[in-house]
Amino acid sequence: MTQLLNDDIIKQIREVFDGLKHPVHIMFFGSKESCQYCDETRQLVEEVSAISDLISIETYDMEADSDLAANYHVDKAPGVVIAAKESDQVTDFGVRLAGIPSGHEFTSLIQDILLVSNRDSGLNPQTREFLKSLDKPVLLQVFVTPT
Amino acid sequence: MIQAEMVEATEFPELSMLYNVSGVPQTTINAGKAHVVGAVPEPNLLAEIQRILAE
Repeated sequence: MTQLLNDDIIKQIREVFDGLKHPVHIMFFGSKESCQYCDETRQLVEEVSAISDLISIETYDMEADSDLAANYHVDKAPGVVIAAKESDQVTDFGVRLAGIPSGHEFTSLIQDILLVSNRDSGLNPQTREFLKSLDKPVLLQVFVTPT
Repeated sequence: MIQAEMVEATEFPELSMLYNVSGVPQTTINAGKAHVVGAVPEPNLLAEIQRILAE
């Protein structure tokens, strides 16, 4: 496939990624079973990850790596986990994408990487308080459409 | 404990139908326990999460 991101976009992202503080690890889950945008999504996140040394990427298959997918609560392909990394230790921050992050959602992908890299949610004190005391699982799914 | 996922609706039509997604963005909490449509201010989202956890 031809390069998805043009040089102009890569230059802009590189500038944004100059602000990256700590390492980020992307885990991509594809599937050989009906997954219209798996190849494209994989290539997209690979190209983004190549822009900074602070971003590493590992690609997996939903079926071959089903245990890992289950561990990371990834049940849809293409699935992307944006995690924190410190030396060899990967820490899950609960950030997921399901489906190709195109259009406006591409900006969300970049913002998510920055967020995890900063290791700070940027949330209000009340929200942080609540989340600290959270003892039941919460799943937030934001449905979007490609723009 | 908490996971947040962007779901591209056109690629996952059954899930979108299951949660009655019509207007986007739609934030669905705990597999359909609650939904918020549109951009949600942080305090509003927090209140919704707290509300359904208290049920």
